Amino acid sequence: MSRKAVILAGGQCKWGVREAHIVDLFQEAAKACLDDIPTLKPKDIDGLIVATSYAGRCSFQVNTAPVVAERCGLKPTSICTRCDTLCAGGSTGIILAKGLVEAGAADIVMVAGGEKLYTPQKWEVFYSELASVDHDWDGAQGMGLPPPFFALTAQEHMLHYGTKKEHLAAVSVANYNYAADNPVAQMQKKLTLEEAMNAPIVVPPLTLYDCCPITDGAAACIITTDEIARKFTDRPLVYIRGTAQVCLNSVSANFPGEHLADWKHTRIAAQKAYERAKVTPNDIKVAQTHDCFSISEVIEVEELGFCKKGEGGEFCASKQIEIGGKVPVNTDGGLLAVGHPFGATGIRQAIEILKQLQGRARHQVKDADIGLTHNLSGANAEHTILIYGREPVK
Amino acid sequence: MAVVGIPILEDLYPVTMDMWPLEAKEFNRIWQFYENLKQGRFTTTKCKDCGFVAYPPRVICPECYSENLEYIDLPTKGKIIVFSEEVKGVPLGFESPLIHAVIDLGVPPVRRLLSRIVNCPAGVLKRGDEVQLAVFPVPSIPIEKGKAGTVMADRVFFAFEPVKK
Repeated sequence: MSRKAVILAGGQCKWGVREAHIVDLFQEAAKACLDDIPTLKPKDIDGLIVATSYAGRCSFQVNTAPVVAERCGLKPTSICTRCDTLCAGGSTGIILAKGLVEAGAADIVMVAGGEKLYTPQKWEVFYSELASVDHDWDGAQGMGLPPPFFALTAQEHMLHYGTKKEHLAAVSVANYNYAADNPVAQMQKKLTLEEAMNAPIVVPPLTLYDCCPITDGAAACIITTDEIARKFTDRPLVYIRGTAQVCLNSVSANFPGEHLADWKHTRIAAQKAYERAKVTPNDIKVAQTHDCFSISEVIEVEELGFCKKGEGGEFCASKQIEIGGKVPVNTDGGLLAVGHPFGATGIRQAIEILKQLQGRARHQVKDADIGLTHNLSGANAEHTILIYGREPVK
Repeated sequence: MAVVGIPILEDLYPVTMDMWPLEAKEFNRIWQFYENLKQGRFTTTKCKDCGFVAYPPRVICPECYSENLEYIDLPTKGKIIVFSEEVKGVPLGFESPLIHAVIDLGVPPVRRLLSRIVNCPAGVLKRGDEVQLAVFPVPSIPIEKGKAGTVMADRVFFAFEPVKK
């Protein structure tokens, strides 16, 4: 019988402005993860994949995986490595862990992601973002901090499809309201449409609540096979049915779509992931998409096939992304409200899908059996999609 | 010049904190792009074997992997497709207003080039406005050259600016 990868458990530490070192955050996340599966002990874990992009810049620490292993009391014998795909690092780690456990190269892998972004002087994290894009070409044009890039994206979406500021605000309101009772979220407050519409300008048309915050935080999850998982848990198993990671661009001059609001690489990633998972967009009951900006979620629901191209604004504003809607999206609060410590985000998304598919989410989607996570990373360089299900692909 | 908290870095150049490219021949095989820029030319590489024009410039052709490349001139004038203006919260190293635009230089692969717009106040730019290449100096850097000692390498960078009517 072939080995099939499942996500067994997961946990995240409190996200926000943390008075902590990056290795403290990883320890908190590892504990939160094992607290979710008390039968599993650190000695059972034979693999560690660490996802962090800013450890090298903001914590002066490269080769992060051995340091995290040591601090978390892990002694991996199958794999101990780090991956850096910025905002998609956690999802990348899960894809790699799936491949390793299905191939028999590892049995129980912890995927842990985290960042410590608040530095003693705040300029440094912002300045370091020059390294998040193509440094010599886009960083030197002042494209390191993403608001201008996504402001242009929003403008092109408005220009081509008639999307309005109200549509963007509806995404912020939905996601903040999902996070209001999430104790590990950075932003735990309800938001009204009026507050979102009247918020301070960042880069027009984007205002404060259209943009995710800078976040310290970590998250960890366990990837293993279904056969091994059954030894540790009686909960329903959550399989990783299909994945895809598409990179068509990493410099702003060569954007793959017709314009900045046309995300060809998302469509290709979605098609690949749906094919591999043997599902269609209509099968997705709950999704965690990469709402680094409100406009991102508007475009993602289109490119993932939840609605027609150009209708994402109306889809979000008509509450289709809320509980009871067609596809509830970012049901724990998303990047906008839970926060976005880059390498940890994909793991946070996976944990929310795990809980949804096991029927123990805070904002539970009824009968959720298939769920999706999506990340974009860099200057819209790469798109990463994972599809989870209560049943394996047959 | 002292670095607060790290006195050992006094008078040292940390490349890991440099916002501009390492353009010098000793560190970059596309140094010719920056040399051309100093002459006011906006150039890139074209493959002499398959004819593919890549931007940014390369050391191999991304289509056929040939190393047989030549520098060609790109247009230095274009038109604004869309633009954004950041007035508050401009990141360190840039001045307010920080304006970005997708510009059309008329020929592939620069029909949709994302660039900074300089020498332009906030609130005056319009879609369709004409812009032109703007080259400006950026700080020189010290390069250790063995027995020859340390030499200062001059650098320039580019953006686009409105064409004055």
